[in-house]
Amino acid sequence: MKLDPKRSSYLPTPATLKRKEKLSEHVSLFVFEPDNGTLLGHKPGQFIMVSVYGVGEAPFSVSSAPVPDSKQFELAIRRTGTVTNAIHELEPGDRIGIRGPYGTFFPVQEFMGKDTLFIAGGLGYIPLRSLLHYQLRHRDEFGRIIVLVGTRNPRERIFTDQIMELGKRPDVEILETVDQPDQCWEGHCGVITTLLPKVDINPENTYVAMVGPPVMYRFVLSGCEDKCIPQDRIYVSLERRMKCGVGKCGHCQINGLNSCIEGPVFRYDRIAPLKEAL
Amino acid sequence: MTAYTVSMEHIPGLLEKWAGELDVHVPEQDPDGFYNFIAWTPETEIAWDYDLAYNSLKRFFLPPKEDTLSFDMETMRAEPVVDAPKQLLFGVHPYDLRAINQLDQLLEMGEPDVNYLARRQNTVIFALEPSRVAPTSFWASMGYDRVDLGYDLYWTRISPSSFYVEVGSTAGEELLLAAGALPQATGMEREAAKRERLRVRARSIKQGGLKYPWQETPRLLDKSWESPIWRNNSKYCLSCGSCVTVCPTCYCFDVREEVDVDLKKGKRFREWDGCMLPSFALVAGDHNFREHAMERYRHRYFRKGKYIYDKIGELGCVGCGRCVRACTSRIANPKAVYNELWEATYDEA
Ligand SMILES: Cc1cc2nc3c(=O)[nH]c(=O)nc-3n(C[C@H](O)[C@H](O)[C@H](O)COP(=O)(O)OP(=O)(O)OC[C@H]3O[C@@H](n4cnc5c(N)ncnc54)[C@H](O)[C@@H]3O)c2cc1C
Ligand code: SF4
Ligand code: SF4
Ligand code: FES
Repeated sequence: MKLDPKRSSYLPTPATLKRKEKLSEHVSLFVFEPDNGTLLGHKPGQFIMVSVYGVGEAPFSVSSAPVPDSKQFELAIRRTGTVTNAIHELEPGDRIGIRGPYGTFFPVQEFMGKDTLFIAGGLGYIPLRSLLHYQLRHRDEFGRIIVLVGTRNPRERIFTDQIMELGKRPDVEILETVDQPDQCWEGHCGVITTLLPKVDINPENTYVAMVGPPVMYRFVLSGCEDKCIPQDRIYVSLERRMKCGVGKCGHCQINGLNSCIEGPVFRYDRIAPLKEAL
Repeated sequence: MTAYTVSMEHIPGLLEKWAGELDVHVPEQDPDGFYNFIAWTPETEIAWDYDLAYNSLKRFFLPPKEDTLSFDMETMRAEPVVDAPKQLLFGVHPYDLRAINQLDQLLEMGEPDVNYLARRQNTVIFALEPSRVAPTSFWASMGYDRVDLGYDLYWTRISPSSFYVEVGSTAGEELLLAAGALPQATGMEREAAKRERLRVRARSIKQGGLKYPWQETPRLLDKSWESPIWRNNSKYCLSCGSCVTVCPTCYCFDVREEVDVDLKKGKRFREWDGCMLPSFALVAGDHNFREHAMERYRHRYFRKGKYIYDKIGELGCVGCGRCVRACTSRIANPKAVYNELWEATYDEA
């Protein structure tokens, strides 16, 4: 094999921050554009590795839908440590390094003509938003769009304006809940599983796309089972620690799978037998 | 297949030549009695009959710490760093070469790891038939007593003063003939080399290894997720990571950065990491996917005995026995664990 060091898988390419917007106390939206003028070329559910030189590198889901005529892409990032803090410090015009897109994605072709039930727990809305916006751009090609959103408390809700807009659309059914309400919250209370009985779905014709914190999956999956949704129509995205993004460093293993290349999006029946998946 | 006979007295001259072109590393016995690969000098006494090199050879391809990028924080631009010295490893045992062949596959798979592959391509490997078997080794029973590819030359000592040297590549042959022509090996010498290999293999087998065919290991593990052995043994685990650090087939790494004092430029580097260390699978929100020593301990045996097998069709443990020696709690021995699982699964049934 001929080696070209310039083509190192570990070399990021530059991208520039165009805009940022606060979504909640700890989460902000970042709009980037690759400096080389090319399209990121991601599919809904994929992630990229973001470098802030001098600080480090971390994986983030692309939250925007792939749009052929826009080179910009969006990340929504929660402040939690060194790299995420450094990204929050960036100002428009500042540069980062990106690698990817990496990993598996939601099979949008397969979802066409079918209903989709989105189940978003907390930051899980970030990757699902890419699929949701894709479907909304090609609204005619998909059946019902049902979105369940659960957040720990009203202060941590993200994309609130967009979710409110969605609520007004006749062709989107959206239900939201918070685990712990405050005085101002007038909506539904309770964990996300409590929303499931409220939606009436056709299990024969529905695909599920689900992303949330590790604790969420088991409960929601058993809720899906109650609704008779077959395992091979449920897609989940699983986050693990990731250092390389290309199947080498070992950090992201789920039993024998490397979730950076064989995931993060998995069809549920394929990982159901794995002990470390859920 | 071309083979030559090389007499012992011819070797210093050859080493002198090779060392002019490449960094030559050979096995040596240190004052404490441990064998290890070191940089050759004319004073080095090569330990031809070493049983096991204390450190594995992966460090020549995947150094404990290696730069992968250099970056400029003012322009936020980066360049790849790919450092690959021309090197010769002389005296690599078959099981260790099989470990290297395994890394070759795993690091080339999918997105090739340029840093690893560049080092590998610049490395000449002279394999050496072992003449002794380390007390902790069990490579023959794991199917790792021979190697058919990955070497440039394969040396077998067939008398106190001579070697049978089989050619594996043109680069190897050129180096061998660098100091002049050599006699082609005779059929008798080839037979002698084969006898030597069988003798050593028999030694390894006699010493004891897996009590069942190694190919059964993945299936055995399929039945062993709930075995009490994981909890019983891991009670003594210090989570020190020694077992994975010394292992020739472990290649997990962490990625970190270092910034120059002027805060303008810096380097990204990778560093050996290991699934036995507590924070290996820790993510944001303080969720740890393998929080308990038991889970990490079990993962290592599954990785060696099943997950790697599922990827490349051979076991991720070559039976060198380094981990057996490195573990102060005496619980890191794959042979012992797999045998115990086998007995629990099949003998009592
Ligand atoms: C596929 C994937 C998609 C993700 N998408 C998003 C997203 O869209 N938005 C978002 O806010 N976050 C996302 N994350 C999580 C994000 O990668 C972590 O929050 C980030 O790596 C923390 O980095 P840090 O340097 O700020 O934190 P650190 O200072 O390194 O540590 C803070 C915490 O983060 C954990 N952590 C460190 N490195 C990683 C890593 N490489 N992967 C996972 N956890 C790590 C540490 O164990 C620690 O608990 C995603 C993670 C994965 C694997
Ligand atoms: S098994 Fe032994 S060598 Fe490995 S981490 Fe535990 S105590 Fe350390
Ligand atoms: S697991 Fe132990 S015996 Fe097996 S290859 Fe690794 S260090 Fe050698
Ligand atoms: S992130 Fe390194 S192997 Fe998956």
